[in-house]
Amino acid sequence: MNPEPFFQLDRVIHEKGRLTIMSMLAASPELSFTELRDGLGMTDGNLTTHIRTLQQSGYLSVTKSFQNNRPLTTCAMTAAGRKAFANYINLLEQIIRQNKPE
Amino acid sequence: MESNWAAEHLQVIRTLMERSALYRRALAPIMIFNGVVGMAAAALGWALRIGPPRAFILFWAGVGIVAAVGSFLLVRRQAIKESESFWSPPTRRIMQALLPPLTVGLMVSVVVWARAGSVPRGDGSLAGMLWLPLSWVVLYGCAFHAAGFFMPRGMRLFGWAFIMGGCGLFSAGFPDWARPLDCANGIMGCFFGGLHLAYGVYLYFTERRRNET
Repeated sequence: MNPEPFFQLDRVIHEKGRLTIMSMLAASPELSFTELRDGLGMTDGNLTTHIRTLQQSGYLSVTKSFQNNRPLTTCAMTAAGRKAFANYINLLEQIIRQNKPE
Repeated sequence: MESNWAAEHLQVIRTLMERSALYRRALAPIMIFNGVVGMAAAALGWALRIGPPRAFILFWAGVGIVAAVGSFLLVRRQAIKESESFWSPPTRRIMQALLPPLTVGLMVSVVVWARAGSVPRGDGSLAGMLWLPLSWVVLYGCAFHAAGFFMPRGMRLFGWAFIMGGCGLFSAGFPDWARPLDCANGIMGCFFGGLHLAYGVYLYFTERRRNET
């Protein structure tokens, strides 16, 4: 068995919390902080930490605005994030293929 | 072992991607509102004897506008309450899915409305035009079936109920003794009032529980 795909997995995305955030954003052009928090059942602090990590890696862009005088934070996946996420899924598929019995 | 967690990861990704693409606002208030409007309008149309095709089309177009505006306001209120944008990606997708069949319904109504005036005795009776409310029912069902791909699964079944009901009545026809005015308003009341109300009540009791799980 070739272990290489496993070692190529992006560690930033591979963490469970961040993977769920990336998955949600992969299907939507953008999601608000509230939508992500409620959809994933995370605490505000936990979600903020993960978003910051993904943002620092250049995978997410965060926009802060106001809606009806209330702050609105929206997250969207960047082009680099989409590429990294697609690559991550390709590697997972490779791992599954490799381990499939002939 | 390694392929197991990889497959599990892919399954989680797939589930989350589906969930984030779905429209998750509470639909019960919208359905109940539309049901009440539909029932009240059918009763009003019957009581006011709105029988001439042109008047019937205008009356139900007005009801449609009231229902649409009311639904938008309810959605907007939910969005504001949850500090979310009203025009979210799932809302956009749903509007895109709803639009083609509803546009066809509008075009058919405009053409029938225009022709009704030029045909001799065209303003006289709904007798030959019962296919119109049935076509509205079927097209509305098609619209909701299409939107159902971005909503909870029940919405597609709701669309099918309109489609099958409309097609069934269309093929069964109406007995000779049935009065067209009663039939036309009855169709609108049963489908746009009754079905919405029934589904709204069902959602009222199930939606919150489903969202909590």
